[in-house]
Amino acid sequence: MAVKPKLIKERIPTPEVPVEERVKSFVEVNLGYDFASALKEAERCIQCPPEYAPCIKGCPVHINIPGFLKALRENPDNPDEAVKNALRVIWNDNTLPAVTGRVCPQEEQCEAPCVMGKVGDPINIGKLERFVADYARKHGIEEELLREFMANGDGTKGRVAVVGSGPAGLTCAGELAKMGYEVTVFEALHRPGGVLIYGIPEFRLPKEILDKEIAKLRELGVEIKLDHIVGKTVTLEELLGEYDAVFIGTGAGTPKLLNIPGILLDRIYTANEFLTRINLMKAYLFPEYDEPIAVGEKTIVIGAGNTAMDAARSALRLGTEVTIAYRRGREDMTARIEEIHHAEEEGVKFEFFLNPVEFIGDEEGRVKAVKFEKMRPLEERDRKGKRKIVGTGEYVTLEADTVIIAIGLEPNRIISEEATGLKTNPDGTLVVDENLMTSIPGVFAGGDAIRGEATVILAMGDGKRAAKAIDAYIRRKKANA
Amino acid sequence: MGYVITKKENLSAIDFFMEVEAPHIARSWKVGQFVVLIPDEKGERVPMSVYYAKDGRIGMFIRRHGKTTLKLWYEFEVGDELLSVTGPLGKPIEVKHYGNVVFVSDAVCAQAESYATLKAMKEAGNYTIAIQTFENEANVYPERYLAKPVADEHYLTTEDGSVGIKGHYLDVLRELIEKDKVDIVFGGGKLGSLKKLAELTRPYGIPTIVTVRQIMVDGTGMCGSCRVLYGGEIKFACRDGPMMDAHKIDWDDAIKRNARFAEQEKIARERYMAELRARGVV
Repeated sequence: MAVKPKLIKERIPTPEVPVEERVKSFVEVNLGYDFASALKEAERCIQCPPEYAPCIKGCPVHINIPGFLKALRENPDNPDEAVKNALRVIWNDNTLPAVTGRVCPQEEQCEAPCVMGKVGDPINIGKLERFVADYARKHGIEEELLREFMANGDGTKGRVAVVGSGPAGLTCAGELAKMGYEVTVFEALHRPGGVLIYGIPEFRLPKEILDKEIAKLRELGVEIKLDHIVGKTVTLEELLGEYDAVFIGTGAGTPKLLNIPGILLDRIYTANEFLTRINLMKAYLFPEYDEPIAVGEKTIVIGAGNTAMDAARSALRLGTEVTIAYRRGREDMTARIEEIHHAEEEGVKFEFFLNPVEFIGDEEGRVKAVKFEKMRPLEERDRKGKRKIVGTGEYVTLEADTVIIAIGLEPNRIISEEATGLKTNPDGTLVVDENLMTSIPGVFAGGDAIRGEATVILAMGDGKRAAKAIDAYIRRKKANA
Repeated sequence: MGYVITKKENLSAIDFFMEVEAPHIARSWKVGQFVVLIPDEKGERVPMSVYYAKDGRIGMFIRRHGKTTLKLWYEFEVGDELLSVTGPLGKPIEVKHYGNVVFVSDAVCAQAESYATLKAMKEAGNYTIAIQTFENEANVYPERYLAKPVADEHYLTTEDGSVGIKGHYLDVLRELIEKDKVDIVFGGGKLGSLKKLAELTRPYGIPTIVTVRQIMVDGTGMCGSCRVLYGGEIKFACRDGPMMDAHKIDWDDAIKRNARFAEQEKIARERYMAELRARGVV
């Protein structure tokens, strides 16, 4: 009788920087696998056939997960070879694995339906993806693979302009470059990466790693024009004159503000301002760096998504006490479990069922407290499946000398205001068809620009889908010409 | 990259002129719009008014005020490159025939805008009047940098009377309004003066469009740092302005918000000046 391999039910853990050390700096919290432990974790995968592997279906960009884990396992004595083969599989679907391996909500996507999750812990797919990307980068494995992936094209298939260098834009650009298109990315800020650079702190996604992922796209031939605001520096019409197609991946770049008294008080930041000062401009190193940030001793963060967690944990690292105040309950928080867990470990406090109604300031115009109405959950659920809440008429005031508002974003309307004919929905998102084409032929869009607010990986999924649609569109156009 | 400094010249005891290669901006810049520049890796993003945009270059007036602008003056010479120049940002103002157009200015950014705006307004067939106010003689610019060539009437005032008319643009404007010579006022500069300007023109119903200078980070409407109360609504100075109806702005709030980082600015400036002294630069 054949001996069945024993299922290892528990995950091989990844080490983390101890709490007391990490709250003092912006160093990355999770340290990731080494080859030996990655191998052990990969070996837990039971290798569902790709046609019905639930993890692949759960991934918005459909990475061949069993395939890359198999490749990793096939060369236990030759880590370089194992990683190269695994990375080749990943790159077929995703050119930014060091990013997605860090910021994807894997527990809701690839890892959620994992068969191993029924008998124990699901495979730690995110950390394995990250391991492959990190190992490859550190050991010079990427160069060789890049040459392989560039063999496809010389940029003569057509020219595409990509607006925005966030997850959607970078993915679209990478996919098109792999197909052999000449791609130019237009970025409004002075560094590429979009929300990955201004929104996500170093302790979750080190800038150095992001920069290297982007450098790889440049190796694939993608040109990135920084300091260019499409709609201002160049118009959409001008781009359409010069390129065969345009992809808009401008994200959701405008912060929602609370329309309550005191919103203009000093030290009330939007999460975007707070995080941009810290992440993009390194204000935590002020005055060595010029961009300042000012926080007091008690900070209240309003909201409970990943952005709220990022803002809370960043504020903590600036030396202030932090409380997250959310108008709903714990189970409705939209942040990744890992981020909530890290925030709690680091000492962030949580207050639930509190809805802000007023910011109270001192004589100098600086915030000193937030007045909340206590909320009560109902049995009824809204269309997102969250329990509805109602005010109780009871109020509580919490002291705070710094407030960060992280209640969401809406699309920036710079392009839609400038480009007449580009149809938008009332919420500012761009109208697209099933091929992600906007109301202007040849102009495609994806990511938060069409979704309002979603995750990095969904934006990347759009970037990839749009790249395929753009390819088909340009082929058709050239065939008819 | 490649934002090469092509000209640099002292304007006065506190302000200087800098011209930078930025063809992407020069081709699309319109009156009323601004740029954001970053000197170097460790620099901050600073919004700047534009004096002119031509031949692939933009000219700016800059005040030696905070660390960044001091650094630009002391460490950046013709031939050096800036890390980043982004733009044009904000909404252009409407250039058309208004009749008698006055531009008032009492600080560096607005002195740049005075020339740029009145030039466009004159070309659009307006009668142009510039009132340029400086604190004192030492702060006055060389004549070729004033708005004189594009103004049908030009008034130079100093607050201490050391040169030109003694007084502020508000004083001169009041007289012009009484002579019924003003169809529209554009302007910029110190926020406190703009508040008084709004109060001066409001009873006469004279349209008054001014630069709402606020602390910005990205300049595209992403961060919300420059939010102002405008006709009871929240607007962003970078995206909805920077030139806005002075009568709709809540100036008291705008003035407070613009001083948010005063402490940090002071720390940075003093630390930098000490560094310059240690290096023997000043």
